[in-house]
Amino acid sequence: MSFSIKQGEFVVIFGESGSGKSTLLRLLKRELTPHGKKEGVIYYKNRRLDELDDDTSAREIGFVMQQPEVQIVTDKVWHELAFGLENLGEPTDVIRRRVGEIANFFGIHHWFHKHTMELSGGQKQLLNLASVLVMQPEVLLLDEPTSQLDPIAAEEFIDILHKLNRDLGLTIVLVEHDLEKVFPIADRVLLLESGNIILEAKPEEIGGKLKRLNDTHNMLQALPTVVRIFNELSDQPISPLTVKEGKRFITEHFNDHIVRLETSETSANDETPILEAKNLWFRYERNRPDILRGVNVSVNKGEIVTILGGNGSGKTTLLKVLSGQRRAYRGNVVLKGKKLTKYKQSALYKQLIALLPQDVQTIFLKSTVEEDYAEIGKVMNGTKEALEQSIHKIANLLSIEHLLEKHPYDLSGGEQQIVALGKLLLLEPEIIFLDEPTKGVDAYSKLKLRDLFMDLKAQGKTMVVVTHDVEFAALISDRCGLFFDGEIVSTGKPKEFFANNNFYTTIANRISRHQYEGCVTAEDVIDICKLNGVKKHEQNIH
Amino acid sequence: MRGFATFHPFVLFLYYAMVLIITMLMLHPVILVLSLFGSLLFFLTIAPLRQFLLDLGFYFLMFLLVAITNPLFVHKGETILFFLNDDPVTLEAIIYGFVIATMLVAVIFWSKSFSEILTTDKFLYVFGKVVPKSALVLSMAFQFIPLFKRQIKKVHEAQKTLGLYTSNSITDRILGGIRVFNSILTWSLESSIHRADAMKARGYGLPKRSNFSLYKFEKRDLGIIGALFVMFFVIIFAYIKQYFAFNYYPAISDFTDTKQYFFYFLFVFMLTILPFMMEMKENLLWTFLKRKISASPIRNKKNVS
Amino acid sequence: MNKTFINKLIVLGVIPVLVLSGLFVFQDRSFILISLLIAVLALLPIFLSFEKKEANIRRMVTLATLVTLSVVGRFIFAAIPGFQPVTAIVVISAIFFGSEAGFMVGALSALISNIYFGQGPWTPFQMFAWGLIGFIAGHPKWSLRLKENRLHLVLYGVFAGMMYSLMMDVWTVMSLDGTFNFSRYVTIAALALPFMAVYAVSNVVFLLLAIKPVGEKLERLKTKYGM
Repeated sequence: MSFSIKQGEFVVIFGESGSGKSTLLRLLKRELTPHGKKEGVIYYKNRRLDELDDDTSAREIGFVMQQPEVQIVTDKVWHELAFGLENLGEPTDVIRRRVGEIANFFGIHHWFHKHTMELSGGQKQLLNLASVLVMQPEVLLLDEPTSQLDPIAAEEFIDILHKLNRDLGLTIVLVEHDLEKVFPIADRVLLLESGNIILEAKPEEIGGKLKRLNDTHNMLQALPTVVRIFNELSDQPISPLTVKEGKRFITEHFNDHIVRLETSETSANDETPILEAKNLWFRYERNRPDILRGVNVSVNKGEIVTILGGNGSGKTTLLKVLSGQRRAYRGNVVLKGKKLTKYKQSALYKQLIALLPQDVQTIFLKSTVEEDYAEIGKVMNGTKEALEQSIHKIANLLSIEHLLEKHPYDLSGGEQQIVALGKLLLLEPEIIFLDEPTKGVDAYSKLKLRDLFMDLKAQGKTMVVVTHDVEFAALISDRCGLFFDGEIVSTGKPKEFFANNNFYTTIANRISRHQYEGCVTAEDVIDICKLNGVKKHEQNIH
Repeated sequence: MRGFATFHPFVLFLYYAMVLIITMLMLHPVILVLSLFGSLLFFLTIAPLRQFLLDLGFYFLMFLLVAITNPLFVHKGETILFFLNDDPVTLEAIIYGFVIATMLVAVIFWSKSFSEILTTDKFLYVFGKVVPKSALVLSMAFQFIPLFKRQIKKVHEAQKTLGLYTSNSITDRILGGIRVFNSILTWSLESSIHRADAMKARGYGLPKRSNFSLYKFEKRDLGIIGALFVMFFVIIFAYIKQYFAFNYYPAISDFTDTKQYFFYFLFVFMLTILPFMMEMKENLLWTFLKRKISASPIRNKKNVS
Repeated sequence: MNKTFINKLIVLGVIPVLVLSGLFVFQDRSFILISLLIAVLALLPIFLSFEKKEANIRRMVTLATLVTLSVVGRFIFAAIPGFQPVTAIVVISAIFFGSEAGFMVGALSALISNIYFGQGPWTPFQMFAWGLIGFIAGHPKWSLRLKENRLHLVLYGVFAGMMYSLMMDVWTVMSLDGTFNFSRYVTIAALALPFMAVYAVSNVVFLLLAIKPVGEKLERLKTKYGM
């Protein structure tokens, strides 16, 4: 492949997992060049990258990786900021000045003396960015830097990148799978597919060009909501990118005769609750504040219930209490008519309850997926044949046969999520609790995850999901609830739930709410727009 | 507050080296009592009272234990008090036991304040000046610990819901522990590769590495180093001149020498009491300053409390 | 290779012996101080040679990880007294990364874990004891045997437990009255036999349990990332 990036450009690279995005990015940073055979030449400022002196290479090309934690080298924030400059052999007074400057720019001076391990994920990633920038790079390479962050921290991070590019003219190359926030600020977008750049265009043109290239391309689903809606409704080459532009597009082009989609929601669900929580109160230690303050929730059999809430609101804790890992000091969880505390632990986690933790790597123990799955045999006490059969069945259901021989740590974020879920399914649970199942999962894999959830639901499994991924919640839920200040403050079907929210709602809803009611997914908006039809004066143009 | 801990890490290191050498080198009862006194007073000013009392209680027991064991093993000395299993128990051995116990407890309390004062970052700073690579390995290990502990907890919880080894029996605990350890192993070794990459990306391994720190070497650091060396040399001089000689066997020396060389013991006293005095000085100064601030005419009443 | 190993062993082993015998000339004066100085001096050559030779960042991070593992291992199994994987990890590190790495992992593990389990004058002794256990296990010929032959591994585990116990007994004896007395040392060592047994058993158990998974993972890193 050949491409060039101009000084001061903001370039976004996207593509399916395994398309070679990360490898490409690492090739641009000499110190991180992967093992293997390389052909062709990379030039940096008209000099061959491999002929740069070590100092320039380290200094002028900065790299930020995915995992916030693994990039931190030292124990104090101030020392972390100085680390790169120390390596370059800068004298103390230079380091002191630069560190001070960067700490101010990033607002890090408030936590300058803290231990690096006390920081939140968002702060850590910000620190990583600052520690690279303190070396005054000319080019900044970022490999999915926001995938492990919560939406608010991710937005902050992207905003800073925008500021760096706009105000300082820093050249930025960003590999990203969540394109929603980065499309509006990018100058150019590259789409990678099995090691080739198949598309290269301005962000507003990408949608149209990709559709023309292949109108069933997987990555069409990964584009920002606005682009996806536009793509379905128009053949124009320039698409809107922001909510503002999307709103204008809908107002200008579509009628508003019908404001509400006919919902064909059949309440096929059993109305008998399988799990009920009554007035749950919980705190971790006696003299610590309450995390749960009178939570009431009831989940019906075969239902997918999503509990939304901000970072650190206690959603994970709620899940732990509901799944019996922790015990509420007041109130009860009733599972199938029997108090949770009355179950034996060994009985509870076999064929009854399973919990997919936020960090799915904690599930894996063995060096291949298959060996890992085989472990469940010890719990289920079945014959070897029965186990093999069920492994085969699950692998088939999740279409992960090709992953069975792989090391769990070598899988992509989306694959890890699905494989971990598969391990839980071997336990044949009736209720599955999932904590942040879309963390680190790219847009296309999210859709696969949704399909999988629907399959499981069809099999009669009940699912309780906590997440801050509003878009995903809108896709999968039968009911949504907002967890705030220790209780679940509102619940409802996703359409009502999001339609009633002003801020805490999906992009599709934000784009359409001024004209239509209860449209929460891109599909809803597309449907209602098609139903209403294009405005008169528009038709003349077509 | 600019107490003893705010001196440059090198000064602190030097101080502890000197005071430990003197404590362990000179088996003179007066010196050891002075050292114990200094270490206890200083630890009292920097540690919470509760912890101080708990430690004091624990080490008093150890003190007694060591003091009592010596006469059981050692039968030297001319003043036989009584016989135990046909072995003589001597006054000299008992006194020597107390002396050694004093030394041990003094060393332990110095070590305790050392850990409080020379926090890991200061320790790593000093260590890093001497052996930078080892210090970096150490520093990484330091910050991995909380990280690993958190991961252990997460894995433990995740694995419990997988239905294996859920009981509290000892076999389940061991087998469960091994599983957790296994998971931590893979996780940590895999991430160590990414860590190394991140370091390389930021230029680690380039030849001309410098060493940055927030610690500034000030005039007062230089001053105290001068004072420390003067005290140390006077004490060592006295040691070489045998002014601090003190015999326990066969008979215990008297204190005539001690009186004669009182002047030199004064230096030991000054050295061992130094950190405590520094803290006291700062406390007094601070109260004084506070009074001055609050007495100033432009004070804001709300700020004074 | 072999010669340098012996040279280093001389540095490690002979210096202490020489100075120890010097101690007897000193008589009962300042035993503790001098023994401490010896322990520190004995640590120095390996640290310095590590400084000079180690250039692989991935290896350094891996060593830090192994140190941490041995420290947190003490937490994981804290429920079972005396049962700790430190020696096992030190030995395995040595088998895969050589003498010096083994020594570093041992010495640093002692230094760090004592922050949680109590720092004191015994720290340098412990650093030296664990360091030496790693150093010996890392000898190219032995490390191969330890890797391949489970019986040798078991024997080494027992040996390491005994050595650790005996070395720490030196400190115990000296802390009793500030002198080193051989007959008293024998008494103390005999009293400490049960501890020695626990060390040896836990070493063997952990070595047998850990050699395969840890070995596989280190091997994977070594081949996948070329360390």
